[in-house]
Amino acid sequence: MTASVDSRERILDRIRSATQSVALEPAQLASAYAALPRTYIHSGALSAAARVELLVERLREYDAEVVECTPEQLPASIAAQLAASGKRTFVVPPELPPAWHVPGFNFMIDRGLAHSEIEQAEGVVTAAFCAVADSGTIVLHHSSAEGRRVITLLPDWHLCILYASQVVETFPEYFHRSPQPPELVTWISGPSATADIEMTRIKGVHGPRFLHVILVHD
Amino acid sequence: MSHAAVDHPILDPLLAPPFPKAVLPVLRNPQLRKNVAHAIDVIQTKRARLVTEKSDWQQLRTAASAVRAHVLENLAAYLEQFEARCTAAGGTVHWAANADEARRIILDILRQENASEVIKIKTMTSAEIQLNPYLESGGVSVFETDLAEIILQLGEEEPSHIVVPALHINRSQVREIFARRMGLHDLSDDPHALTAAARTYLRQKFLKIPTAISGANFLIAETGGVAIVESEGNGRMCLTLPQTMITLAGIEKVLPRFQDLEVMLQVLARSATGERMNPYTSLWTGVTPGDGPQRFHVVLLDNGRSAILAKAKERQTLKCIRCAACMNACPVYRQTGGHAYGSVYPGPIGAILTPQLMQMQHAQSLPYASSLCGACFEVCPVKINIPEVLLELRSQVVNQERRHLGRFFDPMYLGLRVANLLFSNAWLFHVAQSLGRMGASFFTRKDGWIHSLPSVGGKWTQTRDLRGLPGQTFHEWWAARAKEAK
Repeated sequence: MTASVDSRERILDRIRSATQSVALEPAQLASAYAALPRTYIHSGALSAAARVELLVERLREYDAEVVECTPEQLPASIAAQLAASGKRTFVVPPELPPAWHVPGFNFMIDRGLAHSEIEQAEGVVTAAFCAVADSGTIVLHHSSAEGRRVITLLPDWHLCILYASQVVETFPEYFHRSPQPPELVTWISGPSATADIEMTRIKGVHGPRFLHVILVHD
Repeated sequence: MSHAAVDHPILDPLLAPPFPKAVLPVLRNPQLRKNVAHAIDVIQTKRARLVTEKSDWQQLRTAASAVRAHVLENLAAYLEQFEARCTAAGGTVHWAANADEARRIILDILRQENASEVIKIKTMTSAEIQLNPYLESGGVSVFETDLAEIILQLGEEEPSHIVVPALHINRSQVREIFARRMGLHDLSDDPHALTAAARTYLRQKFLKIPTAISGANFLIAETGGVAIVESEGNGRMCLTLPQTMITLAGIEKVLPRFQDLEVMLQVLARSATGERMNPYTSLWTGVTPGDGPQRFHVVLLDNGRSAILAKAKERQTLKCIRCAACMNACPVYRQTGGHAYGSVYPGPIGAILTPQLMQMQHAQSLPYASSLCGACFEVCPVKINIPEVLLELRSQVVNQERRHLGRFFDPMYLGLRVANLLFSNAWLFHVAQSLGRMGASFFTRKDGWIHSLPSVGGKWTQTRDLRGLPGQTFHEWWAARAKEAK
């Protein structure tokens, strides 16, 4: 679009002339950025056990269901969660560990399922990239064990499996864990909610209404 | 219904009446004021608790402020970097100098897509450029998907807050709107039922409409990524299910690096809704094969922003991350709600942003819609000194006005010129004091207060009383005291 090309130059020219007294040379930009004040808390001070305890507390405040188990108990714990949900059909990402495909349920493996097919699933089971205890946030980078964005969106019930070693205390610690900026991220802090009507918090508008977490003490 | 009695608010700064006039229907509407005060009190209480709990809150504010100031000073470099990375990741970047151009670019994209319907994530920037009516008149049906935006769209209401735009509407009013527009006559006014009605109403639209429009909370220069902060999941629906995604973003929304989100996300949710973190934040980068929209457009909007950038004191206005903490803290907003500001950006940030976006040609009453108490500055997570900018804009308004020939004999400017003369000469000042005491005695009631003054003085007394002048000035008292001592 030619109009847009002209506007590009026009806008950038306006910005350059507006900032000419303060803008840095490209060579100085990185060092000026590095010198910005960052005196906030970067690393947490909690023990590993206290960190996990804080995460569980935060998740429960968001009305998420949390159960804890050992690595040996994990398949049984998954089976118990799925059974308690009363649901039969779950969509799962292509590289979910095979041991998590517990018998007795229908697993639809997402290798490019249509939205209408995912919509038929009653729940979804995924791994996570990590979790941040301070804010109770589960982080998905949408790897092939965490699944495409759509599978953790359409089903009404989400079971997420987290290892204690994946739990960090502060938000900055998570960013230090991701040296390469990811292309896709979803930060989930509790189930979908709204407070648009009289500031009353209502759980479950469009995303999954039920968030379940199994915390594996590894 | 009491709400319907309110004059329909005008949020176009070109057409809106001045603040003191626009505010009158609100002040006469007790239901509206009650709704606003309730919502504000809930958010304020939650915010205060969560900010207190954060021991490094001031350090986070300092960092957030520094990052935003650094971006604005080097905006051209960061925008070009964003454009290059976003393009490399499969996105298409458009530049719009003004509202009209942005609207045309978006409608052109929709026409290329043969889109007759579009779903939208809440974006104040699209309200700024009045996108919806333009698309509708271009034959595209627009479906808002944020619960508050649905309430406004179906109720033909205007937003009054930038984070909770329907906070002025209570549950029974929402019930009435939904019952009428969705044909659900048995609907109760329980917020759970109302929310469920919205979920059902939108589910099929999410699955069927292949084109979406969003705003942006942050653009990441380093990666070309876009971040959206939300609560309901309607944002995730719109940016995951469609084939084509169009993001409209102000040019000031850039952050240098992905890592800057570690600061911004920590301050934004706490400031905006009083939560440790909002339920969903999404980040995507151009197009990801097999995951989400396969065609992605970003429209970068100037619309007056680059002019704000040129002024050293006012530049900080653009640091804003639209958390709305300033309006929640503002004693004026608490009484008036958002509509009186005559713009989609109400409250203290609106009072400085709107007149500047209008190149100081409109909305000139807004810089006065403040008591300068400074509560907005104190809560601002990116440390925008709003009172400083308000004062700067007031001085610009005055300078514009007094250069205007017709204003030369305006009683206020005449009075100020006389005051200037009197205050610069002691003898004249004393004479004026004696005369003033005599004059004021005509208006001073028995209770020692002046309740109404004629002419320009009436502007003061129509909303406040003035204490009558004392019988003796300090100078007279001091001289008399010295005489007695002898």
